[in-house]
Amino acid sequence: MEDEKKGTRLSRRSFLKGIGGGAIGTAVISTGLVKSDSAEGYSPETSGAGGNRATITLKVNGKAYRVEVEHRSTLAEVLRDELGLTGTKIGCDRGECGACTVIINGRNMYACSQLAVWMQGKDILTVEGLAKGDKLDPLQEAFIEHDGPQCGFCTSGQIMSGKALLMKNPKPNEAQARRGLSGNLCRCGNYNREVAAVLAAAAKSS
Amino acid sequence: MAQAPKEYSIVGKQTPRIDAYERVTGQAQYTGDLQLPGMLYARVLRSNVPHAKIISIDTSKAEKLPGVKAVIHHENAKVPWSSGGHTHRRYIFNNPVRYVGDPVAAVAATDRHIAEDALKLIDVKYEKIPHVLDANEALKPDAPKIAPNGNLSVGKGAFSAPIEESWGDIEQGFKDADRVFEDTYITKHVNNAQLERRVSIAKWDAGKLTVYASTQGVSNARTDIAKDFALPLSKVRVVCKYMGGGFGNKNQAQDYDYMAAMLAKVAAQPVKLEFTREDDYIGMHGRWASEQHYKVGVKNDGTITAVSLDAVTNMGAYRKQSGNLSGTDFYNIPNFKKVIKPVHTNTVVAANYRAPAYPQSVFGFASFLDQVAFELGVNPLDMFMRNRAQKSKGKLPFTSNYLEQCILEGSKRIGFSEKWHKPGATAGPVKHGIGMALGGYPFRPGLGAATIRVNPDGTAHVLVGVTDIGTGAKSTMAIIASEALGIPLNQIQLTNGDTDVTPYSVGESGSRTTAFTGPAVVAAAEDVRKQIFALASAPMKSKPEELDLRDGQVFRKADSAQRIALGQIVKDSGDLIGRATTNPNFPKEMDGKCFSAHFAEVEVDTWTGHVRITRYVAAHDSGTILNRLTAESQIKGGVVQGIGMAFSEELLIDKVTAIPINPNYRDAKVPTHLETPEVEVIFVEHYDPYGVFGGKVVGEPPITAAVATIANAIFNATGKRFKELPITPDKIVRAVQV
Repeated sequence: MEDEKKGTRLSRRSFLKGIGGGAIGTAVISTGLVKSDSAEGYSPETSGAGGNRATITLKVNGKAYRVEVEHRSTLAEVLRDELGLTGTKIGCDRGECGACTVIINGRNMYACSQLAVWMQGKDILTVEGLAKGDKLDPLQEAFIEHDGPQCGFCTSGQIMSGKALLMKNPKPNEAQARRGLSGNLCRCGNYNREVAAVLAAAAKSS
Repeated sequence: MAQAPKEYSIVGKQTPRIDAYERVTGQAQYTGDLQLPGMLYARVLRSNVPHAKIISIDTSKAEKLPGVKAVIHHENAKVPWSSGGHTHRRYIFNNPVRYVGDPVAAVAATDRHIAEDALKLIDVKYEKIPHVLDANEALKPDAPKIAPNGNLSVGKGAFSAPIEESWGDIEQGFKDADRVFEDTYITKHVNNAQLERRVSIAKWDAGKLTVYASTQGVSNARTDIAKDFALPLSKVRVVCKYMGGGFGNKNQAQDYDYMAAMLAKVAAQPVKLEFTREDDYIGMHGRWASEQHYKVGVKNDGTITAVSLDAVTNMGAYRKQSGNLSGTDFYNIPNFKKVIKPVHTNTVVAANYRAPAYPQSVFGFASFLDQVAFELGVNPLDMFMRNRAQKSKGKLPFTSNYLEQCILEGSKRIGFSEKWHKPGATAGPVKHGIGMALGGYPFRPGLGAATIRVNPDGTAHVLVGVTDIGTGAKSTMAIIASEALGIPLNQIQLTNGDTDVTPYSVGESGSRTTAFTGPAVVAAAEDVRKQIFALASAPMKSKPEELDLRDGQVFRKADSAQRIALGQIVKDSGDLIGRATTNPNFPKEMDGKCFSAHFAEVEVDTWTGHVRITRYVAAHDSGTILNRLTAESQIKGGVVQGIGMAFSEELLIDKVTAIPINPNYRDAKVPTHLETPEVEVIFVEHYDPYGVFGGKVVGEPPITAAVATIANAIFNATGKRFKELPITPDKIVRAVQV
């Protein structure tokens, strides 16, 4: 079953980008970390003359959005362009850098490598959904205290991977924290800070 | 000497960025996050041949695609790009095309997918011209000419060639030597690879062009655009509020800003032009590759008597920047000569990347010195200490120089003397090694401007032209303002990066932001403080010069208990405006520099060629540190970029097709969390009399020594000298198995 899923993912990715590199890149940078369970069935309502658009319901940060999307639009594009949730960044648009990482059904995934139409019925959490009103998530607070962002462009993705890790493993050690964030590139090279922030948030929540 | 440092309120503390909240909540609006009403999306078509004349370009099918609003190319958009090429005239679209990646056309459409589809419908017919990829081949007389005058890249002024510099008597220096060594070191083209892809949004309103750019300098971007579009400065506005990294390849305005502007003009709608990641790797520039031939004369104790450097640097198809190599800057060299030839080839353009002329030549020279030390039987620590820079260019004193302390403190922290062993001496397949190198970067103040408004409630608003490319420049400016004004940081608002609103800034490159704009912020603060003390004079029953302001309270210097809140003083005065344009004097007979000594321990698995950095210590003399938190992040990050350059990064170009084959993160192999060690940072803090609050610069220095440090540690581990970057596992395995 797992193999079958992977096969589906590869072919859809290839279709998505027209480039095999994106899919392989994901596998190399973050084997087993950013998994796809997107192969499950979906039944969006098809619309538009060419039949290349669909209306879907996206559940993002606890809110339901009904949007019409192109079949080929990625989740990252729809979050940013249609829903105005621009905290999710696009750094490579080919599943390599992790700037677009969001949490889908409890797991961190690259939103650039998920078609929006696959997201029907999924629970999506973006960086905008972490704070409770004015109260920041402890991980966000730790990112401020430990200088997690330099340019800040990868920060949302780092935070979402960190959050997904802490949801699964509230007390990671340093090696686990690094591994948990390893699908997220930071060209400013601020890796020490990002790992420290995740560990600090874990320590604080005890 | 200037005044001794006083007790600071906020300078030197660990201060979180003033915009950290926006950055961790996703609220920070980067250029690509902006959407304007009626905005189109644009994509760029690039040449897939290295050198060719465009015979025809047929865009009719693309134009007919529903949703396409504008198609531009070399025939209908002949816009010069002055800063894009200093050897020969460069346009945003060139004919002939001179490398795989040279822009051929750009399309704007109602959405980005349609723009991508349209690119595939453009039919370009090329007539191929012979091409050359290798810099040495390009210098041969029969090589295909890329620039009209040949491939030695001769531009004007700072862009002349060859780059020559000398002092002392080089011949005498070699005569004075006990031993003379010669060798060649090679570095490759690596990309800046910042996370934010290039993006530009342009719109025209009644003849005024606004560009929301992803730039490291709004002021010089405006100057560039105005010049090349023949517009007065008043008709150009450049805005950049948040910026997702650049490391030198988003300086000024670039061709994509111009393309967005032209597309917006043709379509009469705002246009957002986005690069793909591949565009970003091949369409802009990376660090210049180099071949460095050194000749070094030394005494038997290791003392350098003379150094000559002959080098070629591969600048690609256009000369955007110097192509210089300056890694010898951190040593005392009594007799010196260098000749560097920047060369054109039909490859991706090379220009500025963090400390442009340094890491590649620090790798070359510090590796070679480490080798010379080995040949002489001198310990590397003694070699570097003995030859460390004490005068600039053999004669000028530095404004401050604590390189010796960097070496002492760093080597002590890592335990260099105890851990160093004979190269390759560890038993077993996993070899331990330790290495070091010296680095730094020039420091010099310059032209800056700032405006500070004190509001009627006693809060302040700082206006500066700086963009914050990730260094924390906004926070640093606010910290300087807070310290200079005497108003707490949380009562200071800062507006940056908008040429219609904020004053001139030099551009956030070359580690100049603090040194150039910082003094203007201090002077603007002094200007407005004078106005405050004049107002406070009556209620405080004091002369203005008897007053001081700290923590938002005006008080008598003689009796600090006598105080009034600033908000009380200014409440009926409208806004007080402090302003300054400054260009601090810097003595000709001195030189300014930051210094660093880096140390690394590695484990080299000689079976797999895998290298693990087990410890890394970076000791820096950057003068006073204004914000320890962000400064330390800068040092850590620079080292990580050096790790990528040392081990894996190289833009590979197929020798037959001339097509770059790894223009993406996966294949160019930028460092990830997994290969990054904890970088221990030491600041050897001393007040520099020419710096703001004694601070020199921080941004560029940390990458300079990192590559050589790692290479020297690998030598100590394996006993094998790697003279060509990157030091990949296959090279290591091959070397140790010989």
